Amino acid sequence: MSYISAGRAIPLSTLSGVVGSAPPVAQNVTFERILEARTKEPHNWLTYYGAYDGQRFSPLDQINTQNVSRLRPAWVFQFGTIGIMAGASTYAFEATPIVVDGVMYVSGWDGWVWALDAKTGKELWRYKHASPFDITLCCGNVNRGVAVAKGKVFLATLNARLVALDATTGKQLWSRPFGDVRAGESATVAPLVVKNLVIVGSSGGEFGNRGHLDAFDIDTGEHVWRTYTVPKPGEPGSETWPAEGEPWARGGGNCWVTGTYDPELNLLYWGTGNPSPDFDGTVREGDNLYTDCVIAVDADTGKIRWHYQFTPHDVWDYDSTMECILFELDGQKLLGHFDKNGYFFVLDRTNGKLVRVAPFADRINWGQIDASGKVTVLVAPKEGEEVHFWPGPAGAKEWTHAAYSPQTGLFYVPLQEVGARVMLRRRMFKENIPYWGAHVLTDTEDIYGAIKAVDPRTGNEVWRWRNDHPMCASVLATGGGLVFAGAPTGEFYAFDARTGDVLWQFQCGSGHHSSPISYMVDGKQYIAVPVGWGAWREGFDPKALGVPPGNALFAFALPD
Amino acid sequence: MTTEMTPQTTASIPRIEIPPVIRELGLDKQNRAVIGRLILTGGFGFAAEGPGGRLYAQVRIPADELIWQPSVIIMPHEGELELELINDDDNDHAAFLPSNGDFQWIHLVQHSRGSATLSLDGPGCYWFGSPYGNDEGRGLVGVIAVLGETPPQARLDRPPQPRP
Repeated sequence: MSYISAGRAIPLSTLSGVVGSAPPVAQNVTFERILEARTKEPHNWLTYYGAYDGQRFSPLDQINTQNVSRLRPAWVFQFGTIGIMAGASTYAFEATPIVVDGVMYVSGWDGWVWALDAKTGKELWRYKHASPFDITLCCGNVNRGVAVAKGKVFLATLNARLVALDATTGKQLWSRPFGDVRAGESATVAPLVVKNLVIVGSSGGEFGNRGHLDAFDIDTGEHVWRTYTVPKPGEPGSETWPAEGEPWARGGGNCWVTGTYDPELNLLYWGTGNPSPDFDGTVREGDNLYTDCVIAVDADTGKIRWHYQFTPHDVWDYDSTMECILFELDGQKLLGHFDKNGYFFVLDRTNGKLVRVAPFADRINWGQIDASGKVTVLVAPKEGEEVHFWPGPAGAKEWTHAAYSPQTGLFYVPLQEVGARVMLRRRMFKENIPYWGAHVLTDTEDIYGAIKAVDPRTGNEVWRWRNDHPMCASVLATGGGLVFAGAPTGEFYAFDARTGDVLWQFQCGSGHHSSPISYMVDGKQYIAVPVGWGAWREGFDPKALGVPPGNALFAFALPD
Repeated sequence: MTTEMTPQTTASIPRIEIPPVIRELGLDKQNRAVIGRLILTGGFGFAAEGPGGRLYAQVRIPADELIWQPSVIIMPHEGELELELINDDDNDHAAFLPSNGDFQWIHLVQHSRGSATLSLDGPGCYWFGSPYGNDEGRGLVGVIAVLGETPPQARLDRPPQPRP
């Protein structure tokens, strides 16, 4: 029998409107440019938080309190899903887009990366990392963004590889593994470029692995350093783990959210995740360093210079992976951090000393932290009996980011008021199997959220905007006196940064669980926000489990 | 433009029979036990290793079965797979195939034969399927199962841990 030739398979993108290449704008993105991203290039969004300090503040002021009511969509980019993928019912669009001179680089779910024309939304190139559908994921098929430098786009993949792409074509230049998928490791972090290094952290603290940060050479992909966030026996901090057995080897502390960086001190400030097992502390007596910490890491060597632990011996799943925002107050170099445990911490970032701690959540009953930082536990999981605690395991604030406006001197934080009932249930550790040590029932009643403005001088609330649902997306502050934030039910809001008044809103059709940015092309300011509801919804907003999933990126601008 | 070609076996693919209970129930036939055919009942096939570690495998669509045969292609390690696809059916089909860079797509008209080069960089199960009509729901879903371990330099520094 003879056959007709079907030829060879071709890339799917060749059957689309994708251009196939982007202008070489990323070629000259260097460490020096990123250092001055906000002051010299406010039209760009060059790094994950917009600048190394993590403030998520754009100085752009074309869109402001006077005209924001006229904001409208300029373009929308949509993609969808193809075939069977990991966590198919959990995927979400969680990224922070990067913008360089009119080109937007953004990652999606399941290994997608796109380069878009930031003015029109036209797809310039795409990259798909083939991702196993049986990869171990804690909380959804997500990715939080890419890094761009020296003509490359860097992506951390679900199967724990760091991939460098050619920023003009999207073709893979090199790929390096940095996690063990058989040990329950994966990656969702947006890489951070510092000097000639690109730095990534692992995910997987719900599976009893050992967290780490890894740095690779931008040019060659050579592995430069690895820092574990749980010490081996005999190393500093190992005294906070049981001397017998191997709890340290399964201790968690994963760094699954991007850190910030102080170039003067050459320190990275990276949050670490919960200890493993999440809720069963009986197998890991002690404070369990460096879980639930901020670690100040020498960017050149990876050595931990100091640490501050927000929740010693955590049994509530209170990761501290979320951002550490760097700011100055009265000449003091400070760091602000809103923790899942419901407290707002201000630290001296030169040495990690506590300056101030104050609750930002309305309801905190797991424990109390006094002005000196002393923790008193009030409610902890028990065997044979459910206990109820606030905040629940998704935290009073999840990984999504607060913002700081140097214009107002205020922090803006998304608040989740969700408790949970938890009962300790011991289980044996087996590699790559969930290792929680409890059953968890998140509240479906008496939950709400807010956007809050917080004064770092006092820790006091300045204003709040209350929402019937928890607020689970990052906040953006701008030089136009505005604060932007999205809701689980699809609304995207602009608030007056000084009063909290809602000045504008737009229904995006799916819930927000990403990080909006602002940029400018050809003299026009845009606000861009990926929209696509998913991930661990039953944890941070169980009332919104049925909100439509989505996968669109909206760019808003004022009319011509 | 198409040309006639003579079928060739690009790889030796020992097949593993599917469990008898599936045959007894008729889940391995279209429109018998259920409407379509239970996915992944087209058997297993092992990719053969060629010079330089390159892997070769073949997958067919038999007449009126709406199934990939084999449904599970096993790669003994990560790397590049040269896959030959043969449509022996009297209907047209196609394939979305996983590969680093982009999905690969090939149109398989009736009685056609084509190929794809797929790059997969780690252990795990990767989906492939035919996007025609509801080919996927009827049974034309397949898996490329990549075996192997994570490279030593990426593994955790800890003693070996118990696995399930």
